[in-house]
Amino acid sequence: MTNILEVKDLCVEVDGQELLHGIDLTIPEGEVHALLGPNGSGKTTLMMTIIGYPEYKVTRGQILFNGEEITGLGITERARLGIGISQQRPPTISGVKLRQILDYVVVNAPQRSQEIDDLAKAFHMDPFLERDINADLSGGEIKRSELFQLLVTHPRFAMMDEPDSGVDLEALSLVGNMVNALLSEEPARPAKRKAGLIITHTGHILDYVHADKAHIMLDGRIGCSGNPLILLDKVRECGGYEECIQCILRRREG
Amino acid sequence: MKASNDRSTEDRSGPDLDLDHFLIEPDTPRPVMISPDQVEPADIEVMASLGVYVTGEDRAGTYILRDFHPLCLVAQSDDIELLPIAEALAKYDWLRERYYWRAVPADLDRYTAQCASVPEPQGYFLRVKKGAKVPFPVQACLYIARDDIAQAVHNVVILEEGAELHLITGCATGHGVRSAAHLGVSECYVGRNARLTSTMVHSWGPEVEVRPRSGTIVEAGGTFVSNYCSLRPARSIQTEPRAWLNGKGASAKYTTVILGSDGSTIDTGGEVYLNAENTSAELAHRAVCTGGHIYQRGLLIGNAPCRAHVDCAGMVLDAGDDGFIHSVPGLRALHADARMSHEASIGKIAPEQVAYLQSRGMEEREAISMIIRGFLGEEIVGLSPELDARIAEIAELAGHGGK
Ligand SMILES: Nc1ncnc2c1ncn2[C@@H]1O[C@H](COP(=O)(O)OP(=O)(O)OP(=O)(O)O)[C@@H](O)[C@H]1O
Ligand SMILES: [Mg+2]
Repeated sequence: MTNILEVKDLCVEVDGQELLHGIDLTIPEGEVHALLGPNGSGKTTLMMTIIGYPEYKVTRGQILFNGEEITGLGITERARLGIGISQQRPPTISGVKLRQILDYVVVNAPQRSQEIDDLAKAFHMDPFLERDINADLSGGEIKRSELFQLLVTHPRFAMMDEPDSGVDLEALSLVGNMVNALLSEEPARPAKRKAGLIITHTGHILDYVHADKAHIMLDGRIGCSGNPLILLDKVRECGGYEECIQCILRRREG
Repeated sequence: MKASNDRSTEDRSGPDLDLDHFLIEPDTPRPVMISPDQVEPADIEVMASLGVYVTGEDRAGTYILRDFHPLCLVAQSDDIELLPIAEALAKYDWLRERYYWRAVPADLDRYTAQCASVPEPQGYFLRVKKGAKVPFPVQACLYIARDDIAQAVHNVVILEEGAELHLITGCATGHGVRSAAHLGVSECYVGRNARLTSTMVHSWGPEVEVRPRSGTIVEAGGTFVSNYCSLRPARSIQTEPRAWLNGKGASAKYTTVILGSDGSTIDTGGEVYLNAENTSAELAHRAVCTGGHIYQRGLLIGNAPCRAHVDCAGMVLDAGDDGFIHSVPGLRALHADARMSHEASIGKIAPEQVAYLQSRGMEEREAISMIIRGFLGEEIVGLSPELDARIAEIAELAGHGGK
């Protein structure tokens, strides 16, 4: 099976400061991975680097998408290859409506405009279509707006940054449905999914969306990888990521 | 005869024009007016780009001034009276007594004096009859087809009680015209409970000097909405619209959208006198600077219990060493119950906004264009398809300019 994403020995600097120190991460086609880790460990940095934000400078290593090197490509090109993101803190843009962005996404497929309205109804997004993008939305509404754009975009590979943070329990199941919908390849075959990377600090979203594998990011490195349920249980059992850090330190010394 | 009155315009930017450099008086006799289908195709194209459709479709009336003379005039509605101003002055004594030079003083400055001194006034007279809600806009085009002339236009627009009208004015130089002057006086009278929306689009050659002066008087319950959009900047534009809200509940809203580029100085003003109870005024300036100098000014004067807000916002894109936007929102409260506020912000286009739209698949240029369009259009998108098209064009130009 081909790998949709391969990150090899990736080092990334922002403003001259190294934030990622040699990341290796492989996501095979059809797999959904979770990226866990404490605040400030570099999860968002990794996602923004993969989509190609210019302030995140790759100083070493490579990013391959579907077997092809994309490390030097711009954001637009990466998006057009089929990488989609939902951001943790997206910007507001005054005067630009959510609908305008969606219309752009379907511009070459006018038959899909109807789909926007149908999806908006299904996921209770209609009130937000005519509002300025991300302006005056609650934390949870921003997450839904981001996921909704991914739903309409149909990326081959979706990266979602903290889709569950700041979302109350009721909205969480809606968010979970959105994530499942955007990952699903064919509604009739729920086991067949698109590839994705879900960043989550708390892991709440994993109660709704199955992940094939999880990785724990610690201080700009992937500390360990494994079964998401087991890793998450451990983290929860220990009341956070402190134990992971100790574990890694022990392994390094030993 | 030359204008001699010289009120100082030192406090405004853009040179004091030496009108000697221009041909001021017609050197040809007034031609017979033609019907719209006889307008030259090259002119038709320029006018259409301003929202003036010579065919007159979906328009209640059309007036076209070409250089010094009226070229064509059509009124397609009994609710309006549209005449060359010279004819209207001959027809109605009350026009001179009550309206002509009553909202803009003839001796305001050298440009108004010049307009007052031309042998035959250029421009139009438009009256909308009492209670008439004109379903289609009236359009006027003030067109300069040759180099080095000074057009000195004087328009009077009167909306009688309860009347409603959308007036579209396009001012432009024809293809290949580089240098000229456009001086204009516009006096608007908005009667009780009447509503005038004025959308003006300018598109000038690179060395044109533009000095419009306008005055609007709004009576009780009346509404004046002005949208001004400068698409291709002249060498200098200096506007000075003023409005007097004299009746209870009268309101005015000015939106100014400017694209400035290298070598141009654009100084857009706006002064509103809130003279009666419950009057309200809003001035919104939006400018994108890709070079040159842009001044955004606005002064609201609260003489009564009123609400007023002035908002200047500018975006600087790749403006070179010399380009700038200078914003001066002003308030003067002369009444304890005048509630007045202002805001101003100037900045570069935010890179995180561009990157965000790129992450949805847009090219950088498309992203910049969408952001600028949002920025400029926030106040005025949707007011008219013509203006929407102009705004899209400005955004497109800015998108190409932004590196
Ligand atoms: N532009 C920047 N300049 C300097 N430091 C930065 C910049 N962006 C991020 N950092 C730092 O890099 C580290 C990693 O940040 P990042 O946002 O990737 O963490 P995260 O794992 O997503 O955290 P969270 O769970 O809080 O979202 C943090 O210490 C952060 O302060
Ligand atoms: Mg983060």
